[in-house]
Amino acid sequence: MKVRTRSILIIYLLGLLLIALFLLDIRLGSISITLTEMADHLLGRSRLGEQQLVILTKFRLPRVATALMAGAALPVCGLQMQTIFRNPLAGPYVLGISSGASFGAALVVLGAGATGLVATWSLAVAAWVGAGTVMLLLLFVSYRIKDVMTILILGIMFSSGLAAIISIMQYFSQASALKSFVIWSMGSLGNVTGSQLNIMAWTVLPLLVVTLGFSKVLNGMMLGEEYAVTMGIRIQRTRLIIFATTSMLAGTITAFCGPIGFIGIAVPHIARFLIKRSDHMELIPASMLTGMVVMVFSDMISRLPGTERILPINAVTSLIGIPVVIWLVVMNRKAQSL
Amino acid sequence: MSDRMAEHIILFEDFSIGYQKEHILLSQLNLTVNRGEMIALIGKNGAGKSTLLKSMIGLVPPLGGACLLDGVPFDAYSLRERARRVSFVSSQFTQLPSLTVEELVGLGRIPYTDWMGRMSAEDHKKIDKAIEEVQMGIFAGRKLENLSDGERQRAMIARAFVQDTPLMVLDEPTAFLDVPNTFELVRLLSRFKESGRSIVYSTHDLETAIQFADKMWVIHKGRILEGAPEDLGLSGLYNELFSDSGITYDEQVGRFLGSVRERGFIAVTGEGEDLLIWTRKTAERLGYMVKEGADLKIKVASSPAGASWIVQNRNGSTRFKNLYTLARFLIQEQ
Repeated sequence: MKVRTRSILIIYLLGLLLIALFLLDIRLGSISITLTEMADHLLGRSRLGEQQLVILTKFRLPRVATALMAGAALPVCGLQMQTIFRNPLAGPYVLGISSGASFGAALVVLGAGATGLVATWSLAVAAWVGAGTVMLLLLFVSYRIKDVMTILILGIMFSSGLAAIISIMQYFSQASALKSFVIWSMGSLGNVTGSQLNIMAWTVLPLLVVTLGFSKVLNGMMLGEEYAVTMGIRIQRTRLIIFATTSMLAGTITAFCGPIGFIGIAVPHIARFLIKRSDHMELIPASMLTGMVVMVFSDMISRLPGTERILPINAVTSLIGIPVVIWLVVMNRKAQSL
Repeated sequence: MSDRMAEHIILFEDFSIGYQKEHILLSQLNLTVNRGEMIALIGKNGAGKSTLLKSMIGLVPPLGGACLLDGVPFDAYSLRERARRVSFVSSQFTQLPSLTVEELVGLGRIPYTDWMGRMSAEDHKKIDKAIEEVQMGIFAGRKLENLSDGERQRAMIARAFVQDTPLMVLDEPTAFLDVPNTFELVRLLSRFKESGRSIVYSTHDLETAIQFADKMWVIHKGRILEGAPEDLGLSGLYNELFSDSGITYDEQVGRFLGSVRERGFIAVTGEGEDLLIWTRKTAERLGYMVKEGADLKIKVASSPAGASWIVQNRNGSTRFKNLYTLARFLIQEQ
């Protein structure tokens, strides 16, 4: 199809941009490791120094991998929510799903005391349960209330309520646990340990493949549930799967990276703007790639090249995402449409 | 039985609809939809038009009885099989995604595509044809939010059309449309009959329904009356429909008459066919029933100098140069 060529071209260009940013990002840092050195190491021509190797494999590659997974997963969550709720302003952060995950994580982190971040499944599972609970609440409410704005406001209320509970928990927790929680809540791509990265990869990657398989169904959900049913879509099952994948994707990323705002809501709109199509078969890959590009870029910004300091990733993504959302609200007066 | 299957596409047997057992809207319905016919469903707001249509296609569970589609109970079909037999256009008109007409219509092929939603050359041909069918060819690449209400509704209908179903069900497709667009849309729907499709649509617009429908279902006093538009007219139903609201159906002119208030009888006499017609319209608009021999009279006279009207009442007679001043006079006279 003639229209599809644009999407393919955009996806191809995004891929190239991503590779470039990836290489730039692992190159970046106080210890110099040039791309030639890395290539030579891979080809066996010469070996990297001990220190260089540790920095590359223990720090830089895991953090880029984390950025890539977060960048791919969060926009998919946002896109699915936007389609299911038929609301352009939906996203895991706005709807309180990230807050649910944070609450789950807070229970584990603050409850576990001074040991800091727990590198096990418990953190992930707690975040899934937290995200899933908010998701179920939203599902329940959306059965009764069809109004788009009401659901958004409820999502904001959920997250404020959970934030309040978390702050009470913080008040009563030990100083060391509090410190690690506060650091966690700023969001970081660099604190992910090897085993956490493993958990992330094992949940995020298969789920992303699953969501791709639901492109057609998501297309059918765009006109709302009545149309979906009359086009042969089993909406109960679809909703359940979409909600479960969103909870697990957003939950996993939030558990290990902290809350990362505005990637979920903003990136699908950037992708739509780029490919100018609404077919999820094209939108999902385009959103994943755009998200990965934005996350790797945000990671580079957060590391403030040339300095020793690292900004909280949540702050960087918010500063990138918020203008997109404002543009969406202000420029697109027909905000009812996706 | 086989004859019957060939003729009916939908058969209601003691079908009852509503929301929960305590809220039955219509019960014991026995209605049929034949192949290649267009049925207009008429009824007041809240009478159960939407619920009937949605119960018919499985969006709302019926409270009792059966709806047979091609002789088989509706629930016996899988969702995909249903989607290949019945398409739907909802009355909901807002909150549409930002799709192009072509993308929207393409969604109608969902029941036919593989799990990835890939479309064949044939699918694309059908999409193009459906867009042509609703005369939206030049708008194929346009986004829905940039269309007028009439165009958007035609695009929604093309999406249902491309679903290639023997039955199309539309819930108030003309609700947001002006008079010419309503007429155009109903005429468009009636053309779909040529390909052997059946169309069931609900509407408030009795005039176009009477003009185009093969059969009417009129919800009245908790029952559904079924018949050709003319059958129902002969039975005096249309007058009865709105009898409590002071609206009458003029069988000669084929339109509803109604006014703010009832003013009694008036006689209109004189010469000139056009003059008489428009004078009667004026009187009716003001709330008079035109009747021969009434005490209040309007005499119409035409001369080379132009038309003139003389109103005769108990107090004498007054002459007018146009219908506007005549109307002002009649209003103040009461």
